[in-house]
Amino acid sequence: MMAFYFSRLVEIFPFFLKGLWMTTQIAFISLFTCTILGFVLGILRSGKNRIIKWLIGVYVSFVRGTPFVVQVFIVFFILPEWGIQLKAFPAALLAMGIMGSAFICEIVSGGISAISKGQWEAGTASGLTLIQQLRLVIIPQAMKVILPPLVGQYVLLIKDTSVVSVIGVMELTRVGWVTVMRIPEGLMVFSLVGALYFVISYPLILLSNYLERRMAI
Amino acid sequence: MIEFKHVNKWFGKLHVLNDVNLDIDPGEVLVICGPSGSGKSTLIRCINRLENIQEGEIIVDGVPVHDKKTNLTKLRADIGFVFQQFHLYPHMTVLQNVMLAPVNVKKMSSAAAEKISKEKLTQVGLTDKAGAYPAQLSGGQQQRVAIARGLAMSPKIMLFDEPTSALDPEMIGEVLDVMVNLVSEGMTMCVVTHEMGFAKKVADRVLFMDFGKIIETGRPDEFFDNPQTLRAADFISKILTH
Repeated sequence: MMAFYFSRLVEIFPFFLKGLWMTTQIAFISLFTCTILGFVLGILRSGKNRIIKWLIGVYVSFVRGTPFVVQVFIVFFILPEWGIQLKAFPAALLAMGIMGSAFICEIVSGGISAISKGQWEAGTASGLTLIQQLRLVIIPQAMKVILPPLVGQYVLLIKDTSVVSVIGVMELTRVGWVTVMRIPEGLMVFSLVGALYFVISYPLILLSNYLERRMAI
Repeated sequence: MIEFKHVNKWFGKLHVLNDVNLDIDPGEVLVICGPSGSGKSTLIRCINRLENIQEGEIIVDGVPVHDKKTNLTKLRADIGFVFQQFHLYPHMTVLQNVMLAPVNVKKMSSAAAEKISKEKLTQVGLTDKAGAYPAQLSGGQQQRVAIARGLAMSPKIMLFDEPTSALDPEMIGEVLDVMVNLVSEGMTMCVVTHEMGFAKKVADRVLFMDFGKIIETGRPDEFFDNPQTLRAADFISKILTH
């Protein structure tokens, strides 16, 4: 029986590859946008404008204090009530973007605040503009603090894409659900799903470990 | 060159600069001393607007420093600033530290910036350390790099905020030597320091501050040998006895 199911699984393996491709797309598009947004928010959060800092603080607290699955529901089911109707895929990207950029914002502003005030002052005193101070002096140093947890966050974000299966996006986890209805070998099916997540996460885990060791020196 | 007109500044309730009036001539070397918390660092930090003021006016080379329309980048490019804690950029080599502002603020070509930076490193006696990172240098060497970093912008004014206070005693001399050498080039300098030897040797004027006020000014020999106020006399006796 087991062998029969296994051959069925091989038969529908292309379906899994499609799911993997969808997961990869959601993961990498959102990693990219979250990184950019997270850096912008993180830099603003370490700035001087109190209102902006407070607003970002509220946003970060909201995201950190609510489950991601609830955020996905809000984007997909509540936003339409306010006239913003999104298909499952863009809704998934938006929810991932909101969640991921909040966490990356925290990592970035933490990294920036680890740099001493004297570094800003040295740049200021020599006539560098604020943007130049960030680009040439602060961010290059803060990267040492930011990179290891940032890559760690990427791994978490990749795994969190599984949550968007609840709104019907045909990504890897959803493919697993659908398959299990036809092949009642849960262990086999979800081992395959897990293995495929592992394939995209593991290189980043290795990178994170490597960076942690390098930056520690 | 630098003019303070009725400058007042508060940190919260603390009156850090109390009606400061001061005129510094081109080429003048001014030493500022006083007990800690007297406002002396704040005074020079206002000159390049590392600090804002609440009242009065500071004019540097005809430019009102705290005016909203003032081009701060241009103003700061003409004023070198040396910090007590050096604040070199740890992720850059010595040469990159010195070249950074000439390339990015003055928009020099990197060849021209490298040339002037190497000249300034030679001037502070660190030609051979161009490729080193700050962490590989002693405190005295780091401070000399910081001076070269200021000089590479060909400033009109150099400000020193307790440049030798963070140094081990045996390294103070090498930094002061570089500064004395600058004086002989005719640089306008404001130096916050308690190094009496330096003050006596090169200062045109010593300014004594306490509680945000200028208490006394005078020629260094007059000030140190015959202070006019009790507070200055008390301060001098304290820095002499240890």
